[in-house]
Amino acid sequence: MGDSLTPQLLAGFAQAFGSYLGRGKVIVGQDARISGTMVKNAIYSGILSVGCQPVDVGICPIPSILILTKERRAIGGIAVTASHNPKDWNGLKFINGKGLFLNHSQIEEFLDIYHQGEFSLVKVEKYKSLLSEKNPTDLHLKKLLSYLNVDLIRRKKFKVAADCYNGAGAVLMPQFLKALGCQMILINTTLDGAFAHHPEPVPENISKLSRIIKEKNVDIGFVQDADADRLAIVNEKGEPIGEELTLALAVKYILNKKPGPVVTNLSTTQAIDDIAGEHNAPVFRTKIGEINVVEEIINRKAVIGGEGNGGVIFPEIHPCRDSFTAIGLTLEYMASSGKSISQLQREIPKYYMIKDKIDGTSEQAYPMLNELKKKYSGKEQISTLDGLKINFRDAWIHIRPSNTESIIRIVAEAKSRDGAEMLLKKFKKEILKILKWK
Amino acid sequence: MGETITPELVMNFASAFGTFLNSQKVLLGRDTRISGPMLHSAVTSALLATGCDVLDLGICPTPVLQYMVKRLKAKGSISMSAGHNDSNWNALTFINKEGTYLNEYQGEEILDIYHLGKFKKVPSDRLGKIKPQRDYLDIYFKSLAQFLDSETIKKANFKVVIDPCNGGGAGIVDLFCQYLNCELVAVNNEPSGYFPHDPEPRPRNAKEVASITKITKADIGFLLNSDVSRASIVTEDGETLSEEYTFPLVTNYYLKKKPGIVISNHCTSRMIEDAARYFGCHVVKTKVGQSYSIQSMIDEGAIMAGEGSGGVAIKEFQPAFDAFLTMGMILEIMAQKKKKISEIVKQLPRYHIVKEKIYCPPVKAHSIVNELKKLYSRQELKLLDGIKVEKEDGWIHIRASATEPMIRIISESQSREKALERLEKASNFISQLV
Repeated sequence: MGDSLTPQLLAGFAQAFGSYLGRGKVIVGQDARISGTMVKNAIYSGILSVGCQPVDVGICPIPSILILTKERRAIGGIAVTASHNPKDWNGLKFINGKGLFLNHSQIEEFLDIYHQGEFSLVKVEKYKSLLSEKNPTDLHLKKLLSYLNVDLIRRKKFKVAADCYNGAGAVLMPQFLKALGCQMILINTTLDGAFAHHPEPVPENISKLSRIIKEKNVDIGFVQDADADRLAIVNEKGEPIGEELTLALAVKYILNKKPGPVVTNLSTTQAIDDIAGEHNAPVFRTKIGEINVVEEIINRKAVIGGEGNGGVIFPEIHPCRDSFTAIGLTLEYMASSGKSISQLQREIPKYYMIKDKIDGTSEQAYPMLNELKKKYSGKEQISTLDGLKINFRDAWIHIRPSNTESIIRIVAEAKSRDGAEMLLKKFKKEILKILKWK
Repeated sequence: MGETITPELVMNFASAFGTFLNSQKVLLGRDTRISGPMLHSAVTSALLATGCDVLDLGICPTPVLQYMVKRLKAKGSISMSAGHNDSNWNALTFINKEGTYLNEYQGEEILDIYHLGKFKKVPSDRLGKIKPQRDYLDIYFKSLAQFLDSETIKKANFKVVIDPCNGGGAGIVDLFCQYLNCELVAVNNEPSGYFPHDPEPRPRNAKEVASITKITKADIGFLLNSDVSRASIVTEDGETLSEEYTFPLVTNYYLKKKPGIVISNHCTSRMIEDAARYFGCHVVKTKVGQSYSIQSMIDEGAIMAGEGSGGVAIKEFQPAFDAFLTMGMILEIMAQKKKKISEIVKQLPRYHIVKEKIYCPPVKAHSIVNELKKLYSRQELKLLDGIKVEKEDGWIHIRASATEPMIRIISESQSREKALERLEKASNFISQLV
């Protein structure tokens, strides 16, 4: 949400959420956006008015908020963040008592309460006070360190550079890297709400980090997003390895240790299937959306999962995207294999992915997708779980209407850049032809 | 506001105030009521959204907040407190850059913005910021100590009992006593928001203070309301003085030092007129309520203002009812005169004042007042704020409360019987109509 966020609206959402949850503690955290303070205060007033007790955790990474919500036996949580969106946007993410984001049907249910305005307002004498949690990342850190082979990583004395993007990750990064015995160079750790650069971790946005890595002989670089759930990795040469590889590396390492089912969404690299194939581990694909992957991980009792956007989900720590888990697993992989990050990068099957979009509403998109489905079903392996995905040998294309904008997203992946470009070009042409004809 | 309080309602008023101030600094303070955190967060968020910076004083007595508005050069302030109302009520009080309650015109302008619902909205890079404040209590008490003859007070080594009713003064009365070298015996001094009795300074709520003042052999006892604007007094022998005595005690002393115009209202004791007449000073009467009182003090060039409810303002210190100032003045009188509070009170002319409030739905209030006019039609009537009947030996004043569904009756006479008789007559008449 951009400018439409008013305190009145926010309080209404918080009242609806509190009414949906019942009575109890609600964890409230935020990323470093300037509007966080305004938004959080509006939320407190809404939560208090329906008899719930807000627990302020301040600026805090999303995974820490989720873990805290579960461990503190709160009835729910609200994260004030617009993730990778521009700094003047903000939004709310709603968390249930298990420390998971609400799924689609839970959101519907709670929105019903909002739209009907049926808030369970309590009498003033039943109001709770406002609590605050001083060290909200402690539980998260404890979980990370108890899973990871800390001694093994510490022995390596890695030299790590991290770009916290002036986001919430900055509150835990120094402690975490210190506990892992890393020498660290941290940049963009000011929580002033002015994000350091464009969120996309492509070379032009992370030039400062790349320079530091090259000049100071750094082993590995990490780039977080505003709420510290996603991670991009930069190798010792200062080159970003691509966000798809954040998950691929973690999957490869975990399956080496403990083979088992893997869950990822339809738009994530096929490298995951290749890696899982080596271990005869099944891969389950889901619709786009973190909660869809998380729920499937739980259903399938998967050992690991995630999204190609740098979102590693490792249920043994907590079933949510967590940049710190991704950092820990990557460092442990380097330590146990004795290999550099660029060596590990080279061992991942190589694919090229191109993302594109064309204008089109979902009303236009569905008939078009039906046409394509008719044409390709039988000939190729297709999935209609979320838009249309067509799997070719060593390549795929995924076409789906966006949930939030009037655009149709197209992702193509192939073994070579030319292959991916050709695939994209071919399908764009076909799509435009159908759209025009319709 | 009672049980109907919602975040949206609170926010709409705060948004209107923020829009009125147009992205300036706003001071925020509250008393200890349980609804305080809800109001505070709703108001904070609404102000930030209009681009106002919030200077947060947290739990803070209203007079301190009013004093700090000018010191911190804020453009206004919101105090979240319901004064003497019970703990489930709460309210927003808007204060202008002079540290006084908004006048009628400013109030109407905010109501206009509120009803239009067109609130200012700034882009996210211009949202207001919260600026926590420190040292403000020291700044306030230092200047209060400077205003008072604190050397004389300090030398007296008074032992003082104070009951802030677990309200906005809780924990802060300690500092007051430190600055004036008084030994504090505090009652209900936890900022919990659970009021052990109605937070209204008057004899029936002063039982604890009275017994403790006597047992501990203290020099004086005070009872405060929840926002520390008003005080009533208990003498060293445990007599609970009517809150009507607070204002005359200060007036008697202050007019001698500094003669000038005094602001009072129609339901305040005649002791004020007696005192003013004695020093050849003039009394101007206004409608009931701090905002009218203070506005007249400024407009009339008066030196002080007050009400029979125990609220006193001295313009040279600040244009606000201030119970810390009031307690300080009373201690100064005792210290300078070297007399016990019971002796000082004895020198005041004795009036008997009796009060009653009767529940009355606001829709009926107007017709009841009309009936009363008929009842008293053959008497000398004043109709500025309700109905006032003046008699040789006293008066009776009847008005509908502006904040509660109540009709208030106050009757004063040199004879207790007459005061009671008039009160009962009016009360029976009204009860029949309700």
